[in-house]
Amino acid sequence: MENIVINIFNIVGSSFCVEADDGEKVYTLLKKAVENNKKVTLSFQNVEMLTSAFLNTAIGQIYRDFDEELIKKLLSVDNMLPEDKVLLKRVTKTAKLFYKNPERMLQSINKILGEE
Amino acid sequence: MNNVKLDNIDTSFESYQQLINLYSECKNIYFSDIEIEISKWFAANLSSPLGGVVDKLVNNLNDIKFKTEYSIERILKKNNFLSHFGYDKINDSNNTTIEYLKLKPSDSRYFHEYIINELINRKELPEMSNELNKKISESIFEIFTNAQIHSQSDFIYVCGQFFPAKHKIEFTITDMGIGFKNIINNRFKKGLSSTQAIDWAINDGNSTKKNVTGGIGLAILKEFIIENKGKFQIISDDGFYQLSNNHEEKKLFKNKFPGTIINMQFRTNDRNSYSSIDVINDLF
Repeated sequence: MENIVINIFNIVGSSFCVEADDGEKVYTLLKKAVENNKKVTLSFQNVEMLTSAFLNTAIGQIYRDFDEELIKKLLSVDNMLPEDKVLLKRVTKTAKLFYKNPERMLQSINKILGEE
Repeated sequence: MNNVKLDNIDTSFESYQQLINLYSECKNIYFSDIEIEISKWFAANLSSPLGGVVDKLVNNLNDIKFKTEYSIERILKKNNFLSHFGYDKINDSNNTTIEYLKLKPSDSRYFHEYIINELINRKELPEMSNELNKKISESIFEIFTNAQIHSQSDFIYVCGQFFPAKHKIEFTITDMGIGFKNIINNRFKKGLSSTQAIDWAINDGNSTKKNVTGGIGLAILKEFIIENKGKFQIISDDGFYQLSNNHEEKKLFKNKFPGTIINMQFRTNDRNSYSSIDVINDLF
């Protein structure tokens, strides 16, 4: 198979893709495909509602497990509304920062406490 | 019989303080009758935190009675709040209530149906664009999901109200979990105050999750509220945060709320376009 299509609506079983747990179901499949070096298209056809919580687990955590260049080469999305793409872009940008510097969270707390 | 009073409850700091006082005064009462007297006004969406507080008192095997003026009793019957405490529900002829609902965090499918029926497909809602309706619903889902993931609460309490003449919708989500401060301090072994914890949590990208990225939901809500010119409040532990008219306010309560309240006020006559025309090619 040239390109694997993951139909989000079917995996979640709802047009409301809002929960972190549902995102995990998507990520299990996505991870399997990328591990096997397969090109993957995430289809958002018939998806009506998305949250960052869903996209964090469905896609964001991929930056923990794989190299950014490999992700860029293998992943694409289809049938995604422009405003949902804005959200996804934000999720991927946050994920890259998060996994690049896991200490950032603690640093930001220390900053609030003046313990830098 | 123990009697506690709530007077003129709206979404002001003082009103939340009254709810906290109610809890503080009654939290050590067991096997007793408690009468909650509500006078002048009660913002229907605040049935959400009231339900959480009353459940805490019910868990001490107290018998709760409400003493209210006729108009307040009618609102709390219309939005289904009082039916949880031995009263009959009455029909909402004005169709402006968004029903009170008590859910387990795992009851998400039920919550989806509720949002579809009470908000997305609701004919009586003030006129607004589909994109705005979607943004409002997404914001509510973001906050509900946060409560599901982080709160460690047995139940999540939701309720809303819309005001057609004032062009606004109020929606409140309450959990009776461990609160922002404890979640963050437990995770990082630090000593943030409640307002510092709220401050940290609403910053873009800040999250207590260990292996999964996150921390965008509250930041997105904050940005949307600014654009929508709405209002956003967080009450957690003894901390109060409010964003209104582009102005942030933080204060401390006397005593603690035993959980977290998120109150959102959306303006429905918002003419901003929320459909993006940007073409994003480098998603990854």
